[in-house]
Amino acid sequence: MMLLALGLSFSAFTALSLAMEKHQLDLHGKQAAPVSRRRQWSGLGWVLLGAAFGLSVVDHGWAMGPVLWLGTMTIAGLLLAFGLYPWKPRWIAPLALALPALGLVAALV
Amino acid sequence: MKNGFRQSMAWLHTWTGLLVGWLLLLIFMAGTASYYREEISRWMRPELPATTVSTDVAAERAVHYLQEHAGHAETWFVTLPDPRNPAMRMFWRNPESMVKPPVEGERRRRGGGRFGDATVDPNTGDKLEARETRGGEFFYRLHFDLHYIPVLWARYLVGFCAMFMLVAIITGVITHKKIFKDFFTFRKDKGLRSWLDFHNVSAVMALPYHAMITYTGIVTLMVMYLPWGIKAAYPTDEDAFFSEAFGGMPEVSAPAEGRAAPLPIQQLLDSARTHWKGVDVSGFSVAHPGAANAVIDIRQRDGRRLSVDTPALRYDMVTGTLLMESPASGAATATRGVMYGLHLARFADWGLRALFFLSGLTGCLMVASGVVLWAVKERPKHAKSGRIGFGLRLVDALNIGAVAGLPIAFASYFWGNRLLPLQLPERADAEVSVFFYAWGAALLAAFIWPKRLMWTWQLYLGAALFALLPLLNALTTHAHLGVTIPAGDWILAGFDLVMLAFGAMLAMCGWRMQRWTPPLSAAEKKKRAAAAAGGSAVPIEAKA
Repeated sequence: MMLLALGLSFSAFTALSLAMEKHQLDLHGKQAAPVSRRRQWSGLGWVLLGAAFGLSVVDHGWAMGPVLWLGTMTIAGLLLAFGLYPWKPRWIAPLALALPALGLVAALV
Repeated sequence: MKNGFRQSMAWLHTWTGLLVGWLLLLIFMAGTASYYREEISRWMRPELPATTVSTDVAAERAVHYLQEHAGHAETWFVTLPDPRNPAMRMFWRNPESMVKPPVEGERRRRGGGRFGDATVDPNTGDKLEARETRGGEFFYRLHFDLHYIPVLWARYLVGFCAMFMLVAIITGVITHKKIFKDFFTFRKDKGLRSWLDFHNVSAVMALPYHAMITYTGIVTLMVMYLPWGIKAAYPTDEDAFFSEAFGGMPEVSAPAEGRAAPLPIQQLLDSARTHWKGVDVSGFSVAHPGAANAVIDIRQRDGRRLSVDTPALRYDMVTGTLLMESPASGAATATRGVMYGLHLARFADWGLRALFFLSGLTGCLMVASGVVLWAVKERPKHAKSGRIGFGLRLVDALNIGAVAGLPIAFASYFWGNRLLPLQLPERADAEVSVFFYAWGAALLAAFIWPKRLMWTWQLYLGAALFALLPLLNALTTHAHLGVTIPAGDWILAGFDLVMLAFGAMLAMCGWRMQRWTPPLSAAEKKKRAAAAAGGSAVPIEAKA
């Protein structure tokens, strides 16, 4: 469950960063998405953050769940900003899909 | 006001941060290490066996050991083994009549010989002979008591740093104009810009953690920092405040004359577990063991609640009746309990603990990048005038000695644990001395020659000390990676692997520092471009 929450936070932050023009330029250059598309990314990001919050609370309860949620956001954000955007931008999209899937597998096994 | 609001906040942020930055880094690093103080203590006593018995069997052996070795004690205090700590710690208080007068010339024991203690192997019930070390406890104490200076001063100093940190966090958020726009922005290889981005991102991503840890840190010692409320409300008897606000169970009355056999310890622990609907126990204490009115206080294990205040149950040890439950705390005490609990994170399972640890490391990076940022920003002014001024030189030296020197000290402490002879007198203190000798040497070297090469050397030295630690462990103990990984002992294996990771990270920092070349100023770039176009490179190269 914890890995799934981490994966969801990562995808959520990826979506939120894709809603920003400068990161669209980082990843797609001239094919940067138009404003309407970026608004969709932003919506998806918030929904995913909400899902990560719900999952954390279901798994760890109302006291520790929010602590877990904030912690996963910290790690996900650091991974994106310090790791992937400056060094390996091409890995971002595949990881944003793979991490929640891996987390789901880990939660079910 | 001459300057705008944001400029004054930026000024405040710069100077509050710089003034306490180096001590704050020590506090942050020691505190971050303290999340794993049980694991560090275990690694530093490789002789300890893994626990293979249940809590009940361990408790029975503890009682047996104490009946044999401390039968006449007034109280026993036992901490049962758990997955993080395989050994049983116990101590007891002897009656005043049993205390021998101190022998002339012998070192006086703590408490004047009234207290006895033992570390017992739960598998056998025998006393364990492990090397003398303070283990992770050293970092925990260093985090708020520092070392070499009186505890009271140290705590005021640490509180001062925490207050400044709180100011720096608030002013930092105000100063950071593009907190959302630059949320994910780290521009690498851009000199000052990169340092600023790094400082911002490490601060913003872990902002909830930074704010929480600083605020709750002050709360842990609030009674000491702000005693006046208590002084006003309880002018004559401060103890009354403490027992009313935080006091769990009241003291037990004097021992009865008669002796009686206690109930089996399992039965008592089971009643407590039933009462708590299955939550396990972490330990117990017994008042007047063996007497007809012996009582036992059973403490609940951490992990189900944020608060640091541990619920406890008191049973009559002879009849097994539940005498009382630790009183529910009032709203203010409960709030403090939760804040204290959040700071210590004793509730955290392995995943949450890792998140706290990583957030703590991010805090270290934020403080370190902050003090470095000051020097990076200041340097061009000094470069223009042709000489490095006193202030910058001082900051450079302290930066090298803290940012690169502290990792050396931490790693040296672990080296000391493995290399100091086991029979050395005052061995635990000698290990602590190794920490401070190593740090002192790093600081001294940094003050003598605060240059970029010194950064490189110290970062590489720290990298080597950390990365070679698993190897040293393999050469000096039987609890190394070759053993611990096949056995699935992830606490000990994890320690070695994290040391390797730290070594790799420091090596990377050293390597980047070594390869770094100062960026060209705009004027210089123009000159070079003109030279390349005009073909008259030689005289300009010579000038440069």
